[in-house]
Amino acid sequence: MLNSAIESIKHIFSCPTRVDAPNLFDQTLIQSDVGVLIGIVGDMEGRLVIEGESRIFTKLSENMCGMPLEGEMLHSFVGEMANMIAGNTSTLLSNRGKHIDITPPTVMVGQLQLYGFKRGIRVTVHLEAVGPVNAILLLQG
Amino acid sequence: MHKILVVDDAAFMRLMLKNILSKQGYEIVGEAENGLEAVEKYKALSPDLVTMDITMPVMEGVEAVRLIKQLDPNAKIIMCSAMGQQSMVVQSLQAGARDFIVKPFQEERVLESIRKTLGA
Repeated sequence: MLNSAIESIKHIFSCPTRVDAPNLFDQTLIQSDVGVLIGIVGDMEGRLVIEGESRIFTKLSENMCGMPLEGEMLHSFVGEMANMIAGNTSTLLSNRGKHIDITPPTVMVGQLQLYGFKRGIRVTVHLEAVGPVNAILLLQG
Repeated sequence: MHKILVVDDAAFMRLMLKNILSKQGYEIVGEAENGLEAVEKYKALSPDLVTMDITMPVMEGVEAVRLIKQLDPNAKIIMCSAMGQQSMVVQSLQAGARDFIVKPFQEERVLESIRKTLGA
């Protein structure tokens, strides 16, 4: 699922990317600035978190819609961006015979810690001329 | 001037669609953040066309399409969603949507779909 999410990120942002090796972690996710959580149910279950610095998302908003967004509109943009990543991921998985559904995005702002999962897999995707964005999959089992 | 109701839970996406449509002379007669609000606004505003997201809180888009089509079998609704898998497209069209646009979308794809749907 994470591979499909990375594929979706590359498709949505249409810019050269470099992907770091996956990093496994247990029990706690610490968010430093802005993140979005989307629930995944169906043939595969878990939660997808897209997380990064707000200045990176502001740059992305400028690239994607021609204007740098801030405040509430930036948060809405980040939520919709994650929704597109999760939606495209579900489409890619469906083409491979796995069917998932996604929840509306929950946008999280500021430094916080997330609990309530067993394992996490984090992959950092470096978007050229923009910066890094983390794609994180939280698993219960 | 054609009246359009824009339905999406993301304020950013409603802003993008409003900008694209207003530039072409369409009147954005209303906005809704979920399917239930969309049905209520459809009754109150009688738009010529609705753009409808799928994944939304309170009531998702496909259910809202079904309810709007019960109220007005001639309603013209275009789905606009990041969930582009075949099953979702089929469900939407069976519910009564006229077209399906996958996000992220190109401006021209949106305008082409709206022109075609309004002209039909």
